[in-house]
Amino acid sequence: MEPKPSTTPSSFTDQQVFPGDVVLDLSKMANQTIKLGGGLRQDGDVISVMKAGKLRFSKPNKYWVESSNKRYVPSAGDNVLGIVVDAKADNFLVDIKGPTLAFLPVLAFEGGTRRNIPKFEMGTLLYVRVVKANTGMNPELSCMDASGKAAEYGPLKEGFMFESSTGLSRTLLSSPTCPVLETLGKKLAFEIAVGLNGRVWVNAASPSIVVLVANTIMKTESLSPVQQKIKVESLMQRMR
Amino acid sequence: MDLEREGGRGANQLRPIDCSRNVLSRAHGSASCSHGETRVLAAVYGPKAGTKKNENPEKACIEVIWKPKSGQIGKPEKEFEMILKRTLQNICLLNVHPNTTTSIIVQVVHDDGSLLPCAIHAACAALIDAGIPLKYLAVSISCCLTESGKILLDPNKLEEQKMKAFVCLAFPSSVHSTLMERFDKTIWHKLIHSNNKGGMVEEIGKAVEVSGFINGRIPHDFPEGVYIRNVKNGNSMREKVSNLYRPVLKANGVLMFWFAGW
Repeated sequence: MEPKPSTTPSSFTDQQVFPGDVVLDLSKMANQTIKLGGGLRQDGDVISVMKAGKLRFSKPNKYWVESSNKRYVPSAGDNVLGIVVDAKADNFLVDIKGPTLAFLPVLAFEGGTRRNIPKFEMGTLLYVRVVKANTGMNPELSCMDASGKAAEYGPLKEGFMFESSTGLSRTLLSSPTCPVLETLGKKLAFEIAVGLNGRVWVNAASPSIVVLVANTIMKTESLSPVQQKIKVESLMQRMR
Repeated sequence: MDLEREGGRGANQLRPIDCSRNVLSRAHGSASCSHGETRVLAAVYGPKAGTKKNENPEKACIEVIWKPKSGQIGKPEKEFEMILKRTLQNICLLNVHPNTTTSIIVQVVHDDGSLLPCAIHAACAALIDAGIPLKYLAVSISCCLTESGKILLDPNKLEEQKMKAFVCLAFPSSVHSTLMERFDKTIWHKLIHSNNKGGMVEEIGKAVEVSGFINGRIPHDFPEGVYIRNVKNGNSMREKVSNLYRPVLKANGVLMFWFAGW
């Protein structure tokens, strides 16, 4: 009795894949460069899946697995919210919800010199950019953008920070603006910083607005865009 | 001589399997799995920085904590921890996050036989939920040999206590592949782990032909069928069983289990 082979689509793009699934056969694709994003690895002649999620493909040659987790895998160029854990001579040790702590050099600030090193206490919330993220090394952060300007990076004062999944962060940062933020923004005035590592910071003039925005975002994570709009409207009604 | 099993189960029939993930809000990954009445809850924390003292810092380290339903932690719990640790080390990709530790805590909610397979499934689902990179998923089954020489799959507690021999096996689960034309059969034979009590092969004494094809309706992403196939290769059946089951299987070719499904 042979095991019955399951029906195979010709490709798994935009479908749920599980660890071990083989998505590409490299022996059939000679002379092509393929870029692999997160969740995929090369196993000899095939590309197989490491993490469960949706397989995505972007032309011309990028494949990756999109999944939503509570932990973050650091990658260069991401904007994240970090919490200072310790201060050493050359670096601040910052927790970004990744496998290891990240280093923020003390000079990685606009106009930073040895004389004006910022003093961050343990527990300070920072909006930072991931500069380098290689396997086996602690990721490196910076409070400057690529051209050396401060550009909104730095400590976030007051407000309220809550943790969520990486999937929610990506939804909040998607363009066009996600329906929750759009609907909330029409009636309320608030400030929001979203880190790709699953941390969101909200600030507003009054605490009730902060609480409303935070709860709304958390509650509408799993709803469809239309449902989100309805839910947001109903939650805002309660505030009046 | 048809053996009467509880609930009219056939010898090759599994109990209904139920699995849900993200059941704990604080754990980085969590899952709850049940095989009939046996229920196990698994939580995964990690990867976190740093490895234990005696572990290789160039690889990720897996730490398993087994919590029984009641009573103090003793040798049986340590044994389960070691078994689970070796099984999970086989399926995790340990070089993606070197020098980190992933902790898996397994809590037995109810034990009604077939505890280790249930725990392996729960731990696997929790690892997926946490986003830990895995080579493949593991599926596991336990089976026992009764006094009358019958082989039963997925025994419950009463059956486990009455039986003569017992074995638990774990395999990589089947995968969906875009290269179905080259159906790689060797994957189906890989054995991750086996754990046995009693001389299973000795007791059987002869090649047993057990064949059954089950399609259980499982709501989640786990085994949907079990094949048992007999592989005879002519060697003597009466050879002394060593503790390592794999060479025994090869030498004696008694039973090979395949777990199909995804």
